[in-house]
Amino acid sequence: MLSVTNIDTSYGHAKVLHGITLEVLSGQTVFIAGRNGAGKTTLLKSIAGFLKPSEGSITFDNQSILGLAPEKIALSGIRYVFQDKRVFSQLSVRENLELAAYPLKVGVADAIAKTVSIYPKIEKFLNLRAGSLSGGQRQILLIGRALIGEPKLLLIDEPTEGLAAGTINDILNVLASMKGKVSLLIVEQNLSVVGMLADKVYMMKEGKIVREVTDKAQMNDKVIMEQCL
Amino acid sequence: MINTIAYGLTIGGILYIISIGLSLTFGTMRIVNFAHGLIYAIGAYFVVTLLPVARDNFILGAVLAVLAVVPISYIIERFVVRKLYGVSIDYAIIATYAVVLIGVDVIKWIWGASPIPLSDPVGMDVAFLGITLPLYRLIIIALAVVIFIALSIFFKKTMVGKIVVASLEDKDAVRSLGINVDKYFAYIFIIGSCLAALGGVLYAPITSVHPYMGSMVLLISFAVVLVGGLGNIKGTFVAAFALGMVMSVTGRLWGPAAETMVFVVMGIVLIFKPIEV
Repeated sequence: MLSVTNIDTSYGHAKVLHGITLEVLSGQTVFIAGRNGAGKTTLLKSIAGFLKPSEGSITFDNQSILGLAPEKIALSGIRYVFQDKRVFSQLSVRENLELAAYPLKVGVADAIAKTVSIYPKIEKFLNLRAGSLSGGQRQILLIGRALIGEPKLLLIDEPTEGLAAGTINDILNVLASMKGKVSLLIVEQNLSVVGMLADKVYMMKEGKIVREVTDKAQMNDKVIMEQCL
Repeated sequence: MINTIAYGLTIGGILYIISIGLSLTFGTMRIVNFAHGLIYAIGAYFVVTLLPVARDNFILGAVLAVLAVVPISYIIERFVVRKLYGVSIDYAIIATYAVVLIGVDVIKWIWGASPIPLSDPVGMDVAFLGITLPLYRLIIIALAVVIFIALSIFFKKTMVGKIVVASLEDKDAVRSLGINVDKYFAYIFIIGSCLAALGGVLYAPITSVHPYMGSMVLLISFAVVLVGGLGNIKGTFVAAFALGMVMSVTGRLWGPAAETMVFVVMGIVLIFKPIEV
């Protein structure tokens, strides 16, 4: 489904990603773990079209998406959920969903139903300003917004960052409900979350993938995982 | 005093009409568009030229003048401004200032450098609290309020408006939904340019039409945008009328300081409410 081969990405003259290669298969939940500054967000932005790699290739469903504009990549079936819970705070929850449905020609009612299906409580907040939601609710709104129009792959950046334990459980439930139905490539530092959901984990350090873990026992072994970081 | 207030509200109304387009392009595209002042001047020149075509019907002449700037603003957006999205703000200043220099020379070539007077299109006064006010100025104030209400509805109720509101906050997040924001920025640029031209059309009968008329008004409009907040429709409305009043009151007390005072107020506001670009 998604194949990233040997990409280098730079900010100006500073090279951040060095020869990254990874693969996400249909229905797979793949995590990218690593410390701050390892290049995880840069990798997601390179796939989503916000940064253009100087070397390598990125293919999605056997089509090259390298160099395409972010909106074209989004319409091809890859949705990017940004870090920092960036909802459109001046718009209502309903309008946030309406905006996501608009380019995909999906009805607003269907868009709302999709989000309610992963998090029924959101129905109560539809007319509230998105800026008034809690961090966890914002994150769920963002995931719900990204799910509109049946995407094939979601890129999710730090979904549990800065959230309380109870709220992390809500996010975990949402992600678990999506597992297998849509491919997921998730950047996450919380190794407990990684251990619970991952089919595969790529460990990143200083802009490189230092290890690929597919063994479930290893994923749940915090000592092994932390050694890789 | 009522005359001073009425003058302040008139200036405020025109400042709002000019500044809102500047605010939206600055807020969404992060483009400092000096060509906005040129479009204001072109609007004024077009109404001078098109009034005879419209058989001296000012409303028809104004509509034609505003429509006539659409292709010009499209060309500026398509071939200058669109190349500047996402690059350093300095390039936008240089490139759009170059457009102004070219535009002013073209104006001088076509219409000459001498000021062209335009008479009050209404030519009627209204008696109010013992004084008489030109009806034309009251119409300008009312028109500014109507435009404010219309834009507020546009941004709240239409999809294009919602996309622009979302883009003001987070352009990349809008793009990640599959929306080509550049297309909507072009719409906003053209709407903003039409409003700038309308400002020029409306101010032409109050002052005279000359090639450099856009320069000073542009600087004051930037002050309105900075005081009101980038892309803030309500803030721009309040700031335009407040600064219009500052100009009018200062002008009454000491004429030469009228425009300077606007920038003093802007400085004070920026000290307490620094802007993030």
